[in-house]
Order: sequence, then structure tokens, then C-alpha cells
Amino acid sequence: MVTTVAETAGTAAVNGEHPLVRLESIRRHFPVFRGNLLRRRTGTVKAVDGISISIMPGETYSLVGESGCGKTTTSRLLLMADQPTEGNIYFDDRPMNQFSGAERRNFKASVQAVFQDPWSSLNPRMRVDQIVSEPLITHQRLSRSAVRAQVQELLQVVGLHPFHAERYPHEFSGGQRQRIAIARALSTRPKLIVLDEPVSALDVSIRAQILNLLKELQSTYELSYLLIAHNLATVRYMSHMVGVMYLGKIVEEAPPIELFTNAQHPYTRALISASLPAHPRRQREEIVLAGEVPSPLNPPTGCTFHPRCPFVMERCSLDIPVLTEYTPGHSTACHLYNEGDANTC
Amino acid sequence: MTEDAILRVQDLQTHFFTRTGVVKAVDGISFELKRGETLGIVGESGSGKSMTAWSILGMVPHPGRIVGGSINYLGENLLEKSRGEMRDIRGSGICMVMQDPLTSLNPVFTVGDQLVETLRVEYNEPRRSLRDRAIRLLENVRIPAAEDRLTNFPHQMSGGMRQRVVGAISIARAPNLLIADEPTTSLDATIQLQYLRLLKDIQEQTGAAIIFITHDFGIVARMCDRVAVMYAGRIVEQSDVEDMFDRPAHPYTEALLESVPDLDTDVDMLPSIVGQPPSLDALPEGCSFAPRCPHAWDRCQVYPLEFTVAPGHVSRCWRVE
Repeated sequence: MVTTVAETAGTAAVNGEHPLVRLESIRRHFPVFRGNLLRRRTGTVKAVDGISISIMPGETYSLVGESGCGKTTTSRLLLMADQPTEGNIYFDDRPMNQFSGAERRNFKASVQAVFQDPWSSLNPRMRVDQIVSEPLITHQRLSRSAVRAQVQELLQVVGLHPFHAERYPHEFSGGQRQRIAIARALSTRPKLIVLDEPVSALDVSIRAQILNLLKELQSTYELSYLLIAHNLATVRYMSHMVGVMYLGKIVEEAPPIELFTNAQHPYTRALISASLPAHPRRQREEIVLAGEVPSPLNPPTGCTFHPRCPFVMERCSLDIPVLTEYTPGHSTACHLYNEGDANTC
Repeated sequence: MTEDAILRVQDLQTHFFTRTGVVKAVDGISFELKRGETLGIVGESGSGKSMTAWSILGMVPHPGRIVGGSINYLGENLLEKSRGEMRDIRGSGICMVMQDPLTSLNPVFTVGDQLVETLRVEYNEPRRSLRDRAIRLLENVRIPAAEDRLTNFPHQMSGGMRQRVVGAISIARAPNLLIADEPTTSLDATIQLQYLRLLKDIQEQTGAAIIFITHDFGIVARMCDRVAVMYAGRIVEQSDVEDMFDRPAHPYTEALLESVPDLDTDVDMLPSIVGQPPSLDALPEGCSFAPRCPHAWDRCQVYPLEFTVAPGHVSRCWRVE
């Protein structure tokens, strides 16, 4: 019996735990206009096109895929920086579109973000204590001394010294700046932090420091992460669940070890084959993809991956494959693995 | 040393003379490169890897200057060349390949114009035959329907095609040495793979040597025959690529290789390197890695000499003495 993920989304928790955040059939479509005076709608970019994911408490969900696949749009929806066109986001089982004012404030304090480039994400005119305490002051009524005490504590938690509070961002190296950004994100005691390429702008020798810090913080504070990253090895190291995105859709979802040892979708396999080896004697088999990521303005029919797929079949250009559970916890949206099609291929 | 070396850099020193003092961006590095060989120069930002490339190209930006050493290219010292001679060598002999195809093509000229312009420097021929050469170049980098593509502007081509055009331009004058300087921001994995494959392709066709300037050991593992690891302006370890991954002999290389997550294995906690790369205007006495090194001892007060670990494998660490 084949069950689609949409059907099982409500019972996604395998071990009986409730997801902290659940995205259900989320779509975000951007209208495209042409002309000024005679402005008319000429198309739609389906940046996010019906994805359902669950982020469990204390776990990391990673989104991987090439630029333009909708990873960042998804994270913006989660941060309430943008509204979904369709679908809903549930936070602790409460739908986001029915939030009361208080719930909304609580949500915004509970979801924070750390961005890729700590050179542009920290205000150069603010001192470190101002940067770190800004969300605190916004979300909580605290006395000045309480704020100061919290800032000192946060700086120590992320491995900085209390005296760093008086300094400005330009006085720090990239790794330290990212620590400041993490301290700021932690200040409101969030439950979920969106990590958008948190280490790719840092020097290689300090990436492991930051990744380890994030892991430690996760276990200390039971944090959930939504990680967006290019580097699959980083994703494997950090995640509990990985979703592979292509043109606004999740094409495969599995825990990292399962995904990277037993990838099913041809796109996932191509992504893995394109990642660099850790040793010169461990070269990967190359899967050559034809062409490039098509324009999301005019995506291919059927499976959006079919023009580049090495295993393309007749029906791939006709039917849209549904994300289907392949083995427990491992889903893929590909006609190759759809039981119903076994006789056709 | 060897006869077939096309590039031999000896004790190269490129310093920057700033108001606050002399910054030794490249501080006495030596390496050589054989025909058809691929060398990876690995380092973090500020390690001097990019400045090494600019030094070879004779394009060290102000207020930097090459203050010592020699760069021997096909038996001639590049440091004794005039500006005009250097300009001729760049492009025909030594060529830089940019990874980013968007910024390295001129948007207002057709691909054909840009190729022909490059070819005209090398060949004194009528436009027709230059055009034929351009078509052949595009075919060499596997652009289908090359003849029709000549009239395309860069924006009419896909990213992968543009990358190929950049590749075609860089091999237009049959260079002996390609320098690929990789920007720190990462390209998409599949695009990066296309770029790496294109370079391998070019190398097979032209027999050119390649220097990869990178921070990523994955690129080294994928592409290079030899590797030099730079830290704070010096080469701290140099070896054949397999030997480096099997037996890293400098604590920095060792720690760096361990601290990179691996897609094929599972670890609970990555071993990380403490501290951060030193700033070049405040280098510690002695070994510049010592403050971050788990094995540092008294000897490290003095900068280590170069020791041979195995044939062709050298390391600047007192531990291997």
C-alpha cells in the first residue's frame, strides 16, 4: 500500500513525539508582471510548490539543493518574513494563520536566525552588547542590569569573553562574528533557529569550531535547527533529517545516513556524485546531468527534473510524481520507485 | 632540478608596504611545476595563496612588491621582464581562469567578437580564418552548434555555456600554465563539477599545467597531483597528493584534514582547531602555527626549517626533524 506523505503528515512523528514545527503543503508563488502603464501578469514563479516537512524538537532538519530551488524562501516563510500563498505552518500544533497577537510575539521570539555572512549580518555601528541584547529588549521587559547580566552569560555560552561586549563587530574575526550572531539568536531563548549557510563564509580551520558549538547548544538547550547548506558533508554531520529540494519541491527526504548511503532520486544521486571526495583514492562515480536547472518561470511538465534525468521514462513528462514513502522514514518523488509503476518500467 | 619543469618559484617574497608596517604576504616560498601537472595551493584567507598567483602573473597590487626570490618560467626569470613582456606572457603563456563566468565576459560584445579579439593578438590572419579558429575553440570545449553560437551575446547563453566560453578564451593562445583562483563563496556542487571537468578537459587537450588556488581539500583530492599547504605566507607542507592525505606531516595539515566533515563517515564531534588564523601584521615569533598547535614546544620559538618526510614530501615542523 502506497501512502503519500500528505496523508501521513499528521502522524509524521515516528516515536510518538510531536513536531515543533510542521509545514503542510506550503506554496509560495510570486506573480511576475510586465510593463508599467499596462501592467499585466505574465507568469508565476513557483518558488515553493507544495512542501510538507516536520521539524522535531531538539533535531536538525536540513534542506539541500541548488540555488533557486526554494530553500531560502522556505526559511523566510518559517521566520514569518513572508506569507505562504497556500498551505499552513503549525507551531506546537497551532496554525500560524490563526495566531493571536500574543502567540505571534511568542512565535517571533521562539524562532531566530543565523545567516551566512557575519560581515553583513551584524550592524557595524552597534556594539556587541547592543547587537546581542536587541532581541531581548524587543521581546522581554527587563531591567538594564538584568539585560547586562544576560548578555554576559550569552557571550560566555558562545565562547566569547564578557569584555567583548564593549567592542564593535569590525574588531572580530569571521568565526567570532558568527559567535556573536549565534549569541544574538539565542538571546530570546528560542526553540528553533534557522541556519542559512552558517559556516560557508568562514575560514576552513574555524568551521568545525562553529559546527561543534551549534551541536553543543542544540543538546544543551534542546534547540531545533532548520539548516540550509550546500555542503553535503556538513549536512550529514549536523542533521537528523534531510530534505532534497528541486524547483520548489521536496524530491527526497530521509535521515542523513540513509540518504547518503542509499539515495534513490536521480537528482540526489547526482548531487552526491558532484560533492568533492575526502581522499584522492575515494573518487565518486560521476553522474552527468544534462543541461541546467530550468527557469522556475516556465518549469517542465510532469516531473520537473525529467529533462535532465539520466533515467527518464515516457510518463515522467506527463505525470507529476508524488513524494511517496519508499522505506519507513525515507520518501522519494520519482516514478522509478513508485510501486504502481513497477510493471510499466 | 628537473628538466621538464615549466615553472620554478624560488624563495619568492611579496611584501606589502603599508603605513603601519611591512606585511609579508608571501614570505619565501618555493615550488615547481612540471608540464601537464596540477598543483593545489591550499590555504585560508590571508595565507598568501592568491598573492602567490598574482606574483606569478606580475600583477601584485599596490602597495605590494616582490622583494626577493625568482620565478622561473621556461628558463626565464619573470621578475626581470618588462611590463610589456609580462603582458605578452599573460594570456599566451600563463593564463588565469576565472571560476565565475558571469563577471568575466563582456556583456556588450558577442562571444565570437571576444574570441576573435583574443586570437588576433596571437595570429596575424584575416578575420575569416580567425573566425574558423574561434569555431574550433568552441568545439574543443564541447559547445554544440559552435558556428551559430558565435553571434550570441553572453546573456543568451546558459551559465554552463558561458563557463565553456571563458574556458575557450583562456586556451585561445595555447597557454602552458593555467591558474585557477577559486573564490571563497561556494558555487553549486553540480556547477562546480562542470567547471572542474572543463579544466581537466582543457588540460588533456593542451597539456597545460594547472595551479589551483583553493581553500578546499576536496578540490585538491579531486583534481591535483601535488599540493602545497600555505599558512601565514609560507608553505608549511608540500607533497604528492596521496601522500599528503595518507601521512600529513604538519600539525596544521593534519588538523585541517581532520576538521572537515566527511560525507562517507559518521562522527559525533569533529576535532576542531583552536584559535584563528593569525593576522599578518602581528605574526608570532617562530612558527606561526605554534599558538594553535597541540604539539607546540620550546623549539617552536624558532621558525622551523624545511624537513624531508619522504621523497618529494617536505614539512616545516620541528617534529619531523
